[in-house]
Amino acid sequence: MDIGFSPEETRFREECRDWLHASVPTEKRPLDAADAIGFDKAWQRRLFDAGWAGINWPSKYGGRGLSIVQQVIWLEEYAAAHAPWIGANFVGINHGGPTLILNASEEQKAYHLPRILKGEAIWCQGFSEPGAGSDLAGIKTRGRIEGEELVINGSKIWTSFAHVADWQELVLRTEEGSLRHKGLSWVICDMHAPGITVRPIRKMSGQTEFAEVFYDDVRIPLAKVVGGLGNGWKVAMSTLSFERGTGFIADQVKQSQEIEELIAAARANGMIKDDRIADSLAQLRAEVAAVRAMTYRNISEVLRTDQPGPEASVIRLFTSELGQRLERIAVLLMGEAIIDFAYGDDNPVGDYLRGFAATIAGGTAQIQRDIIGERLLGLPKSR
Amino acid sequence: MDLTPNDEQIAFQTATADWCRDNMALEGARARPDGLWAELEAMGWMALTAPGMDLDHATEALVFAELGRFLAPIGLLSTAVANRWFPHVAEGKVALALTAREPEPLRVLDPAGSGAVLMGEPGGLRLFDLPDAFTDQRGALHKTPHTPTIDLSTLQSRHEWTSSLWTEDDPAPPLHLQLLSAAYAVGCADASRDMAADYAKLREQFDRPIGWFQALKHICSDMAVRAAAARSQLYYAACALGENAADAAFHVAAAKRLADQAALDNGRANIQVHGGIGMTDEAAAHLPLKRAHLLQFIAPAARETLLA
Ligand SMILES: Cc1cc2nc3c(=O)[nH]c(=O)nc-3n(C[C@H](O)[C@H](O)[C@H](O)COP(=O)(O)OP(=O)(O)OC[C@H]3O[C@@H](n4cnc5c(N)ncnc54)[C@H](O)[C@@H]3O)c2cc1C
Repeated sequence: MDIGFSPEETRFREECRDWLHASVPTEKRPLDAADAIGFDKAWQRRLFDAGWAGINWPSKYGGRGLSIVQQVIWLEEYAAAHAPWIGANFVGINHGGPTLILNASEEQKAYHLPRILKGEAIWCQGFSEPGAGSDLAGIKTRGRIEGEELVINGSKIWTSFAHVADWQELVLRTEEGSLRHKGLSWVICDMHAPGITVRPIRKMSGQTEFAEVFYDDVRIPLAKVVGGLGNGWKVAMSTLSFERGTGFIADQVKQSQEIEELIAAARANGMIKDDRIADSLAQLRAEVAAVRAMTYRNISEVLRTDQPGPEASVIRLFTSELGQRLERIAVLLMGEAIIDFAYGDDNPVGDYLRGFAATIAGGTAQIQRDIIGERLLGLPKSR
Repeated sequence: MDLTPNDEQIAFQTATADWCRDNMALEGARARPDGLWAELEAMGWMALTAPGMDLDHATEALVFAELGRFLAPIGLLSTAVANRWFPHVAEGKVALALTAREPEPLRVLDPAGSGAVLMGEPGGLRLFDLPDAFTDQRGALHKTPHTPTIDLSTLQSRHEWTSSLWTEDDPAPPLHLQLLSAAYAVGCADASRDMAADYAKLREQFDRPIGWFQALKHICSDMAVRAAAARSQLYYAACALGENAADAAFHVAAAKRLADQAALDNGRANIQVHGGIGMTDEAAAHLPLKRAHLLQFIAPAARETLLA
């Protein structure tokens, strides 16, 4: 057991730091997805051109082919440099791409992976439906096979970045009359195909970042199915394991800055003299440290066994609730200034309102608790 | 960077757990056999980081988390720390004093059979003599009776200050004590989690194991999350202390804070999962809870260290 890094890793860290120091954009990322799309694409392109995209993706698809530890180092330095959130590239980089690496055909990988890394192609995730959120196996959107094509009808909801996306990881029912986990397929859906309508949805924070998507006889070639027809559930589970696991390292690292900023703010406005506030901050600082330790432990485990395991749900649950505690205390430290919040402002209130997503998106806190109870503790399955 | 135990560490961990299961069941914590200390001594756990053995803090923390899971004697903590920092003076069992200020007498935990007492303070460790008369629990001579603490496996007594040795101006010794007590608390949190999960698989109501119900399953999952966070931070802290990292004091304090909290919260939750039987003296659910209450007074994490 050790927390040190090899000389090579330390050199890599310095390279990351130097480049970020010189290159992080000075202007702020716009909050709304539609306004931010140009920014997100340009930033991703810069990352790619300088060799910082896909640190641990295979080099034959444009990645760097480095280790997962180096990926973590990059993300740590990225957050430390206050580099912008990758925004619209989140799905492609954090779970679309990794799912393709694991499950897609050579042709699919060769086409899509470099485009994701270059920020040329924005991806979105079409899993949830009005009647199939937590109960993902309740998917009703269907794809009828006609010759070499799927003809798609139905709708998806809460699709982040749908209105700016080029491609979608779409899970739908391709076997007529199939039930639950069976007969589903994971498909690369062209968001520009005729028959797709996107209706953006406004969040309580004022942003428009997700949308409802309707499919009306949308035709997608069968060659766009990933992992084979009818294997959608298995492929979707690998997507979720990336979404719940490594996809959140960047957020975890960000929390370590947030707590330092909160402590500084509480010192500055004197609220640290309140025992309860001082105690909460001390507690949060310890918890933030534990998140890094949990991440390091999980990554070491993955390196050793090649299995992410249900610990990903433990980390996901702990970090999402911790993030919300941080956001809550940030708002508390603002005092009356919380009232001044206006839509579109980038301040702690925005983070607080957006932060409700952490225990909902990607599987709610309750669903994560089910997974932990059943897969880690061996309790009987309730679903 | 690697925060998973290596093969040698896993071997230590497994051997400790196996021995504890066979010789020191948690259920027996309220009345441990007289010869237990000699057996523990023979196993060598109280000298893992002593000069000569030179194992690292990470291995020691893993072992102490296992010992903590079975509510091993508190004297193991102080003896292991004394063996590391007072190698030529400390002999045999060393009891543990909670930090006190003169003239307040020392509150000595697990004094039976001890020749010395160890006390941790922020600037170092003190090792006090225990007069012979004090050491024999049953002898007619001892001045202060040994009375129970809330933790049914631990006795305590009051003791006047005597001459002491002091590890001055070295931050590492008290951190070592804090690390090992954090490991005990992690074990304690694990014990409650496992007891709750086992019971939730066994006990049936409404024709199903109670663990089927989410209201109970989620209590257990939260216990697992608390234990996992505390354990990860323990590993990190052990490495930080072993490598003399600049922020070792913070990481050890964070480990102690999270471990204490996990031990307390899991201890309480475990009783709820057990329902009526959980509140009874005859059941074991209260044992880790009571141990958790005791541990929070041993080398507690200072808020100033966490905010420094
Ligand atoms: C900001 C944001 C972005 C999102 N982005 C995407 C995206 O890009 N693509 C995508 O596909 N989806 C996305 N989602 C959808 C997200 O995955 C779902 O919202 C989530 O899985 C919950 O489903 P639901 O909203 O239908 O809630 P419901 O499933 O209706 O849940 C309502 C409540 O009931 C609880 N509940 C439901 N079932 C159970 C159960 N069995 N046991 C205990 N409690 C239960 C839930 O925990 C919750 O508290 C996003 C959501 C948000 C908030």
